[in-house]
Amino acid sequence: MSLKPSPRDWQRAIADARQGLSAWHVWNLLAMTDIRQRYKRSRVGPFWITLSMAAFVGGIGLVYSTLFKQDIRTYLPYLAVNYVVWTLIQGIIMDATGVFSSSGVYLRQEAMPKTLFAMRLIMRNLIMFAHNIIIIPLVFLLFGVWPDWEMLLAIPGMIMLLVAAYPVVMLIGMISTRFRDTPVIIQNVLQIAFFLTPIMWKVDQLGAAAPFVVGLNPFAIFLRIVAEPMNGRAPSLWTWGVAVLVIVLLYAITGPLFARLRARIVYWL
Amino acid sequence: MASIILENACVEFPIYNARGRSIRRNLMARVGGSVAADGDVVSVNALKNINLRLTNGDRLGLLGHNGAGKSTLLRVLSGAYEPSSGTAEIEGAVSSLLDITMGMDPEMSGAENIVLRGAIIGMTIPEARERIPEIAEFAEIGDFLDLPMRTYSSGMNMRLAFAISTAIRPDILLMDELISVGDAAFASKAKQRVQELIASAGILVLASHDAKSLLEYCTRGIVMEHGQIVFDGPIEEALARHGMEIPGITKDAAATTGA
Repeated sequence: MSLKPSPRDWQRAIADARQGLSAWHVWNLLAMTDIRQRYKRSRVGPFWITLSMAAFVGGIGLVYSTLFKQDIRTYLPYLAVNYVVWTLIQGIIMDATGVFSSSGVYLRQEAMPKTLFAMRLIMRNLIMFAHNIIIIPLVFLLFGVWPDWEMLLAIPGMIMLLVAAYPVVMLIGMISTRFRDTPVIIQNVLQIAFFLTPIMWKVDQLGAAAPFVVGLNPFAIFLRIVAEPMNGRAPSLWTWGVAVLVIVLLYAITGPLFARLRARIVYWL
Repeated sequence: MASIILENACVEFPIYNARGRSIRRNLMARVGGSVAADGDVVSVNALKNINLRLTNGDRLGLLGHNGAGKSTLLRVLSGAYEPSSGTAEIEGAVSSLLDITMGMDPEMSGAENIVLRGAIIGMTIPEARERIPEIAEFAEIGDFLDLPMRTYSSGMNMRLAFAISTAIRPDILLMDELISVGDAAFASKAKQRVQELIASAGILVLASHDAKSLLEYCTRGIVMEHGQIVFDGPIEEALARHGMEIPGITKDAAATTGA
């Protein structure tokens, strides 16, 4: 079976992306319904997301600042920002493993663009991110961290993260639908990535290994282009550069695969 | 203008057993070679070399025994399944009434579901919101409109699903058996609604085992057997070919055309 897409495959893949992206009112509605459904009949509702995040950050922050002998006034805000962004990255990647296999009801009945399901997933995770990010200003206020202009750089960082998220979701989604072991493999990869990424530890604690463990770690790159500005530092040119490179690679790999395999996804459900 | 062109369309389903599904086993098979089995994938040929052309105004009846491939063909016509070989070109907005509850969420209220399902079948959100009273009235759900759908009786569920699904005017209408929901009083209202829907559709494809409905709504019929079209012609002849005679109608037609 050849993996090379025909011109017609490309045409349809581009149409899928175009139709999926332009149906924003549908995926927006589906994403909001997903969240509301999870918290239906609950008093606190989606703000449990915020509370759970606050509890985790507060607990871990207290324990680890003592263990690492870090000043809690700098450690907790650092951890809070990192963990909120990591939750977004991890959420998108983990959800991606089920993006198509959980939507069999739709995919088997009607010709809905596959992109629509990816966008619904990304939007759903963004809504959760919006709930989580509430704790950041609170933590900043509590520990006397003042915002400065560097924080605005988090916006282009975020845009780059979302641009990268689309091919990631499509790629992981397709592989996971065909090979049902993938979700567990991805879970393990994320587990390892969590420790290899400077979320709970600081880069300068690593010493000589830092440029490799952090500089060549795509998770760390995308975490840092959003988290570093919020921590008051502009990301280095290296970080930006690698992020752009990863995005280009992602599209270069996912594009042809999506064009060739888009129509096969339903057959794999 | 609605149009459907299928050329040598085949739908072949790969059935992956547990072995085929796992990357790990695929890898082990290539690397280790000792324990793993080969990729034994069984295929089900649901549709074989389907050639079909439909244009505006066509009213097609789909006949065949269970397992002949009617539902699969309907899913190809809706665009959900693109043929594994051959081509299918479908132009026009499709309304597939194969699963009228698709997308509805029992935890959400009737009104919210009207917007949710409406958006999925092609309405804009403002349009869906505007039509809530009209759709709710047709479905006769009364005060339950603002209650979650899990509190509805199964009849109410189906009536609401029907009301939303038949609220748009598509170019291509696909039905797997005529939908009939509700009690006698509602059923006649529903029948009228279906008739309006069929009248305004560009192309109709109706899969059915009921000769009367097929005769009433269709002009052309195809008979399917084991995934292939074995007959394509006027509906009366198709019914005769499939062994569904209605005395006084199909026998006469068959006689005059010399079939």
